[in-house]
Amino acid sequence: MTFLRLDNIKKTYGDVPVIKGVSFAATKGEFVVFVGPSGCGKSTLLRMIAGLEDVSSGHLYIDEREVTYEEPAKREVSMVFQSYALYPHMSVFENMAFGLRMAKRPEAEIKAQVAEAARILQLEALLERKPRALSGGQRQRVAIGRSIVRHPKLFLFDEPLSNLDAELRSQMRVEIAKLHRSLGATMVYVTHDQVEAMTLADRIVVLRAGLVEQIGTPTELYDKPANTFVAGFIGSPKMNFTNARVASVSGNGLVLEHPSFAGGKLALERPSASGVKAGDTVIVGMRPEHLTVAPAAPVLALTLDFAESLGGSTQLYASGEGDPVIALTSGRPDLKPGDALNLGIDPAHIYLFSAAGLAL
Amino acid sequence: MRASVTQAPAKPNRGYGRWTPLWFLAPSVITLLLIGIYPTLFALVTSFRRYNITRPREGFPFIGFDNYVGVLTDSTFWSSLFLTAKFYVTVLPIQIVLGLAIALLLHKPGMGLLKSLARVTLVVPLATTYAVVGLIGRLIFNLDFGVANQLFEAIGIGRIDWLSSQTGAFAAIAVMDIWQWTPFCALIFLAGLSMVPGEIEEAARLETSSKLALLRYVQLPYLLPGLTAVMILRSADVLKLFDMVFVMTRGGPGSATDLISIYIQRVGFRIFDLGTASAQAILLLIITIIISRLYIRLFYREVH
Repeated sequence: MTFLRLDNIKKTYGDVPVIKGVSFAATKGEFVVFVGPSGCGKSTLLRMIAGLEDVSSGHLYIDEREVTYEEPAKREVSMVFQSYALYPHMSVFENMAFGLRMAKRPEAEIKAQVAEAARILQLEALLERKPRALSGGQRQRVAIGRSIVRHPKLFLFDEPLSNLDAELRSQMRVEIAKLHRSLGATMVYVTHDQVEAMTLADRIVVLRAGLVEQIGTPTELYDKPANTFVAGFIGSPKMNFTNARVASVSGNGLVLEHPSFAGGKLALERPSASGVKAGDTVIVGMRPEHLTVAPAAPVLALTLDFAESLGGSTQLYASGEGDPVIALTSGRPDLKPGDALNLGIDPAHIYLFSAAGLAL
Repeated sequence: MRASVTQAPAKPNRGYGRWTPLWFLAPSVITLLLIGIYPTLFALVTSFRRYNITRPREGFPFIGFDNYVGVLTDSTFWSSLFLTAKFYVTVLPIQIVLGLAIALLLHKPGMGLLKSLARVTLVVPLATTYAVVGLIGRLIFNLDFGVANQLFEAIGIGRIDWLSSQTGAFAAIAVMDIWQWTPFCALIFLAGLSMVPGEIEEAARLETSSKLALLRYVQLPYLLPGLTAVMILRSADVLKLFDMVFVMTRGGPGSATDLISIYIQRVGFRIFDLGTASAQAILLLIITIIISRLYIRLFYREVH
């Protein structure tokens, strides 16, 4: 059942288009993450769902009701802001109670709701404090508490973790995931951090320059990226790309040429790549974590530039005749800069893109 | 010798010594002493003397608190003070409400050019000398050709002899004061409104669609410091309000606009009893300080 629906939503500032037509639907209880580089319009899109930005054209539905031109407070959505946006002059209790007070709920209900939220978020001991007496993580929990007491139809998160330090961020990430599971609420979450997107999302919407690049589950985006942008954006360290020439095409396979390939050539079975002709350029993508060091059947013959030991694993920076390549390997291979480095990969893990960047 | 050119050492400037800052500060400090501190101290000393300059032969002997006793038992002093208070509570609420309304209008997004034009226009009354405001007031409230009466005739009320009637004169000086000081309130409140972080305003907009609730619960806390400043500055200013009223009404008709500073001026420069006038002025200073402390205690709240 569709719960949130965006129908060809556009946004222009003057003559400048910022969102160039986004259509998308989410079901009830889904956790949707908008992800993309800064300036891609993901926050603008979220703010349009909240009603804080006007929609230039298109339609927006929440729970079967069109809310395109509805006032923010009447959309029954709540939002957690990057800066937390707590009311500085109110106590934690009053911050959480404010929305309910404005909705003129009875005092007993307000107390009960706030107490419940405080219990879920472990804020009971802090209810009388002012926001300035709280740490960043506590403030963020109050901001989340403020949004859950109202039982909104939709939770919106605008980069809620980006002001926190790394440890707190992963901790809060887990808490948000738990919260989503226990509330069963529909959530839309904006981030530029693909790790947050991968770990939290039921579905990810990848945006670039005001357009949707791909919508899918985290594993879909990882396994079947629609284009080089998504392939490069999802996964860390990012995917290695090499431009290769198609030497020959036969039946359901093709042979690629590049000086970095072991023996200069790479044969692949790829029935889906039937459109390419010999002489075309294709982009070969390999994820660092799929590359293996010193395999039986090497695919890449490179020279090691340097290695970074992360303790349990090692990140290898190598280069051949083309673009530098990053490989991630477990353990600590005994290699020095300048050594020859042969890397192997399961052919099923090799991604192929057309010269224009679309998946083949 | 080329080396010495390229790496000239940063020699301490011999013109700059430890007393240099003093020379830069001296002019303003001296000016302040001359026009601020000295007259105040002079008034303080004078207030303890019999100091009538029409009778120099009697000398200017110290008489202790006699002047103060005289002032505090002077019913005209109290009625002038009461009139001044009445003037203050008449004009200030109107200035605050109108100023807040203007600030809220200017705070709304959109129409950038017109708004910056309006902001500049707000400074005009503030930059106008009180005496000139009084002159403008005399024109506006002129019986025969004033704008006020033309307006009143147009809406069918008919002419009013503003400056010759008791309530008319009081209303006229109140209107001019409101004209001059509402923009000041608007600018202060506008600054306060722009202190509210955008995301906090947005968070509130998601929780309530009432503009009044937004103003009361979210914006008002940011306006309180400015409001306190407005009240303090205005009470000090109303207590010494002289030029505008003097030009418009000279305190009349009768004592309808005989504000405290007009009265003090009359005592000092018509009766030439500078001792009493000084005592009155010092009492005003004390009242101003007490009122200011009271306002800060009651209204001033910083938002962190």
